[in-house]
Amino acid sequence: MESLRDIRQNIKAIKSTQQIMQTMKMISNARIRKAQDAMTAARPFATKMLEMVRDLTPEVLALPQPQDGPETWASRLFVNRTADPNKIGLIVITGDKGLTGSFNAVVLRAAMRFIKEHQEKEIFVFTIGKKGRDFLSRLRLDNLHIVYESVGIFPKVSYAHAELLGEAVLKHFLKNNLHSITLIYNDFKSLASQNLVEETILPFTPGAKTEKNFSEEFTFEPGILDIFKLMVPRLVKANMYRILLESQAANLAATTSAMDAASKNAGEIVSALGLKLNKVRQAGITNEILDIVNGAEALNN
Amino acid sequence: MAKKLKLNLITPQKQLLSDLEVDMIVLPALLGEMGILPGHIPVLVQLTYGDLRYKKDGKDFDFAVMGGFVEVKDDDTVNVFAEGADLADEIDEEAESQKIKKAKDALSKKDADIDFELAEIELKQAITRMKVKRRKLN
Repeated sequence: MESLRDIRQNIKAIKSTQQIMQTMKMISNARIRKAQDAMTAARPFATKMLEMVRDLTPEVLALPQPQDGPETWASRLFVNRTADPNKIGLIVITGDKGLTGSFNAVVLRAAMRFIKEHQEKEIFVFTIGKKGRDFLSRLRLDNLHIVYESVGIFPKVSYAHAELLGEAVLKHFLKNNLHSITLIYNDFKSLASQNLVEETILPFTPGAKTEKNFSEEFTFEPGILDIFKLMVPRLVKANMYRILLESQAANLAATTSAMDAASKNAGEIVSALGLKLNKVRQAGITNEILDIVNGAEALNN
Repeated sequence: MAKKLKLNLITPQKQLLSDLEVDMIVLPALLGEMGILPGHIPVLVQLTYGDLRYKKDGKDFDFAVMGGFVEVKDDDTVNVFAEGADLADEIDEEAESQKIKKAKDALSKKDADIDFELAEIELKQAITRMKVKRRKLN
């Protein structure tokens, strides 16, 4: 049987933990708003850019291109003709910290499954977030090369981070002749839920040939290929930026709801302990009264 | 009423102008400054660092843009995709000259630790902002 003091100490400890959790919840709640705004603000650039690149792609592909040399890379981004099928890329975006419910676990489980599915291939890994980096580097698999890591960028993602990541992705995609690059991250669905997304970001899927004929309708300054080569890296970076922001907002939302649940649980435990405390105290008092009554009876006799 | 251009100014961070009706736009194109009036032929132009100016209701507005490109459509919509853009009136000269100094210091040190490309870009951006601001004041 626990003593009164033990229970009181226990309640105190849980209450202070609850306070910490409530504070964490409030902090991430306050940050969510900002993260969400940044996310919506970044959307038009990425979507409009994608539209334009998709429209241009069929025409760029139709241009006569040298078989080798710098020009072919633009087309490789899309159709990837000469890529090595045994080399693929994987981008894993997790948070830096725990206490976010299943946020990191969901991503890492998906990453693990992906790695198992492609056991016989060489996988070039880009990790964002401490949790993912730690997990993947502990695996120590021979076919896993961590080529890029970035930790501690949440919750202050800026375009510079996206630029670095985008540059690294493009560089390895071209240099190592990767067949494809898959991205695994948590999408911000709503304040209450996140969505695990697994998508292939490179090579792009070109848009269908539209009736609009750009090269006839538009004048290009400088040439169409020069502009296209400039656009593709920008698009990749803008996309990375969007995804980092999504992930950031999702991470904050996950923290908020995890901390909310945890502080509710703590509240329940505290009230259960309160009941127990009262019972134990009552039992103690009853025992004392019994003792007194017994003592008095003994004297009377 | 005279025809107007519809200007969209978008950076990766933010959409700064959305379908703003303007009379004229001057762009810092790669091959020289370029003026756009309503009825312009459709073009896709690469931008460099410089001053993007537009005229609205007789007043001039200036943005320092950090490269990117512009799409002029046949319906007089102008989409500017800029790597970065700052309204001239919001540029703080003091802060910019400090940035220039810092970037120059970093570049002159030849330290292996610093990122030369980043410092160079920062320097270029700060100088662009300064230029645009000065021009606006004159």
